[in-house]
Amino acid sequence: MKTQTYSLNLGPQHPSTHGVFRIILELDGETVVKATPVPGYLHRGIEKLAEARTYTQVIPYTDRMDYLAGMLMNWGYVQAVEKLMGIEVPERAEYIRVIVGELSRIASHMIATGAYGGDIGALTAFTYTFRDREYCIDLLEMVSGSRMTFSYFRVGGVADDLPGEFYPAARKFLADLPGMCDEYDGLITGNEIFQARTKHVGVITPEMGINYSLSGPTLRGSGVNYDLRKVRPYSVYDRLNFEVPLGKNGDCFDRFRIRIEEMRQCGKIIQQALDQIPEGSIQAKVPKVIKPPVGDAYAEVESSKGVYGCYLVSDGSPKPYRVHFRRPSFINLGYLAKLCEGWKIADVIAILGSIDIVLGEVDC
Amino acid sequence: MFGQGLIKGLQITWGRLLDKKHTVKYPYEKIEMFPRFHGRFELDVEKCIACGLCANACPNKVIEMEKEKVDKKQFLTKYVMRIEYCLFCGLCVESCNKDALKFTNVLDMNQYRRSWVRLSLVDRPAPEAAEEAPKEETPAKTVKVEAAAGQAPVKEG
Amino acid sequence: MENIFIGIASSLRGFFSGLGVPDLYNDIIMLVVKLVSILVFILVNALWLVYMERRVCAFMQSRLGPIHVGPKGLLQSFADIGKLLGKEIILPKGIDLVVFLLMPVLIFVPPLLIYAVIPFGKDMVAVDMNIGVFYLLAVASLSTILFWAAGWSSNNKYSLIGGMRSVAQMVSYELPLILALLGVIMLTGTLNINQIVNAQNGIWFILTQPIAFLIYFIAGVAETNRTPFCLVEGESEIIAGPYTEYSGMGFAMFFLAEYANVMIISAMCTVMFLGGWLAPFGLDFIPSWLWFFLKMYVMIFIFMWVRWTYPRIRVDQLMGFGWKVLVPLSLANIFVTGVGMYIYRAIGW
Repeated sequence: MKTQTYSLNLGPQHPSTHGVFRIILELDGETVVKATPVPGYLHRGIEKLAEARTYTQVIPYTDRMDYLAGMLMNWGYVQAVEKLMGIEVPERAEYIRVIVGELSRIASHMIATGAYGGDIGALTAFTYTFRDREYCIDLLEMVSGSRMTFSYFRVGGVADDLPGEFYPAARKFLADLPGMCDEYDGLITGNEIFQARTKHVGVITPEMGINYSLSGPTLRGSGVNYDLRKVRPYSVYDRLNFEVPLGKNGDCFDRFRIRIEEMRQCGKIIQQALDQIPEGSIQAKVPKVIKPPVGDAYAEVESSKGVYGCYLVSDGSPKPYRVHFRRPSFINLGYLAKLCEGWKIADVIAILGSIDIVLGEVDC
Repeated sequence: MFGQGLIKGLQITWGRLLDKKHTVKYPYEKIEMFPRFHGRFELDVEKCIACGLCANACPNKVIEMEKEKVDKKQFLTKYVMRIEYCLFCGLCVESCNKDALKFTNVLDMNQYRRSWVRLSLVDRPAPEAAEEAPKEETPAKTVKVEAAAGQAPVKEG
Repeated sequence: MENIFIGIASSLRGFFSGLGVPDLYNDIIMLVVKLVSILVFILVNALWLVYMERRVCAFMQSRLGPIHVGPKGLLQSFADIGKLLGKEIILPKGIDLVVFLLMPVLIFVPPLLIYAVIPFGKDMVAVDMNIGVFYLLAVASLSTILFWAAGWSSNNKYSLIGGMRSVAQMVSYELPLILALLGVIMLTGTLNINQIVNAQNGIWFILTQPIAFLIYFIAGVAETNRTPFCLVEGESEIIAGPYTEYSGMGFAMFFLAEYANVMIISAMCTVMFLGGWLAPFGLDFIPSWLWFFLKMYVMIFIFMWVRWTYPRIRVDQLMGFGWKVLVPLSLANIFVTGVGMYIYRAIGW
């Protein structure tokens, strides 16, 4: 009997590609023989758009990359501009950045957790995380006025001080956070069916993770202790005490699990930052028209998906000559094709979900 | 033990079944937005000096304004925001030195037609002569979205 | 109250014979009346179950679910059906037109056939067959072909995968389902559903056959394609499986048939393990058909509860679980039941 493989076009319109991602699967029955990821359906040319805008005007565009953690996207960009101009950011602004950045990370990880539950089939987990994320987003809205695309960071500081109502609300959220994480753990992580679906699936070895330049929870799930906040502390992270959760096997389950652990750690970080935050200015002295000297600068932050970097070239005009973003989601996807081979269709979804991509960031 | 996680999950969902719900019955009850909420724009024409900083600050060239010189002062005759292109980043509000442009808490800006979305904040003729006290003219109609529907200026991209 | 439906039936029969209708025609008329009432019963229940599922799911997810249409959103399903009826039925390119259009119609046939033998209350069964269980299992497996044909005719790879999965899943879970029921049949020595219910007068079979009940429940969830085993639809993997290309009422028929199947599995659970329409603790002032509904809806609720808690398992795990765990376990159950019966008889209680 002759059998033959067939190709299945998974996406761009598919419920669990987290947007408009496309994978062309070569299937033998239900087993994947070859997977070809096709990104690019959400390309908006943000890097090119940035060249026609002043340095401040680029900030709202960075939000639109990883729209689930907009604060962190802002952060990487303004840090590059500050590095280029040599601006010292006031301490209070740094603390505010840490607070809103970590809140953003929590919001992003909540979606990653819930959406992964949805990918595996537990839709209730999806609604639980979205329910709790609303409270997290409420805090950010209180600060920045928007719920997703915050545009809150400015070159040299932040747009506005934390409002007075923020502190009690944030403390209440932080008090609830461990309970929320416990709920996710009870509903999804501890579930035997979920474990059967994700354990030992899509294993990334530490060597391969490093070779493919993966970062973030995707890399740390393999047990590589690489978190920029620890390795190369920027902002005030060196004053904050937290742990970096690590996985052991590098499978989908580990990648998923450490996101929940990371949320708990984020809670700790915000708690400390709220305790330590000093009074003072929130904005460094920055000229009205930002005109960095000729040169280039590269700055990176640990975003919720991995190492997010921004490379800026200035020609001395008020507009950047060239902006390039190192988007962690995109680079983490590099290993996807190899990772999917030999697994079932359902595992492709599980593996893709465990990498936690945001299409706005992948296609930029 | 196998099955523990399965039972735990059932416990959690059972608990939630009887628990308080987190939904707001939206059209019937609405939540108060935060003071900083980025809603519909509002322009205080009295304060506006038609300097054009907001239009310059905008990353997407959303703001279109027309002004006429009346009595050595700039007089704003037209202020239209192409809300369909707006990012709601707040750079224009931030750039306003006179606190004239503000965000409000109004969040329903939805329209049936894309062309109706355009937000015309000021649309008025310039006062003819300098002698006529401009004060009487200034409480101009700040046209709301609904009214702006018909008169939305036809503009290139 | 107890005999309200039987009373209606006999008065109707009396009315027709009063009109001088011959007995043969009278029987036929009664059969039609019974079947139509079953059809109405299925449809009303399916619509209610759609609403109930949405409410239960919403409540478990800290939401409210449908609240706008009608009081407490009760008319939501009717609004949905109205909407779906008004939709265009899209016919994709390259489909097998006859099969494609026939399947949503035929999908309701197996549930309809099955309800004929289910006793809804004391003496409330449309057709009292002495091989009721056998007939039921035989007819229930028919829907496999319909799912598969729907998937095959759609000219869509997702549909095809869904259809193939449906065959694999239903065939492998039919086996433990039947083997689990065998334990009950051994205890009662009959295939007549009414007699099985009557045999549970003293003690329900859930207590004497707990493992069989568990196996039946798990296999039943798999048979109805609901969440831990919803691979046939598997909306995060293969969109909607065999229903991917169906739109409008075609999709709605599949949707309602799913609920009809859930009802069947729950009704079977009730009949075989939970004492059917028998009242527990001598609470027989509540009519028997109400007891039946109560038990059935408790089972349906458990189905929903499980669905909105668990993730989906993978196709190879599904097969492994069915063949390596459930089938041996149900065989062991039959063995233990047989040995138990012998000991029981030897002691001569």
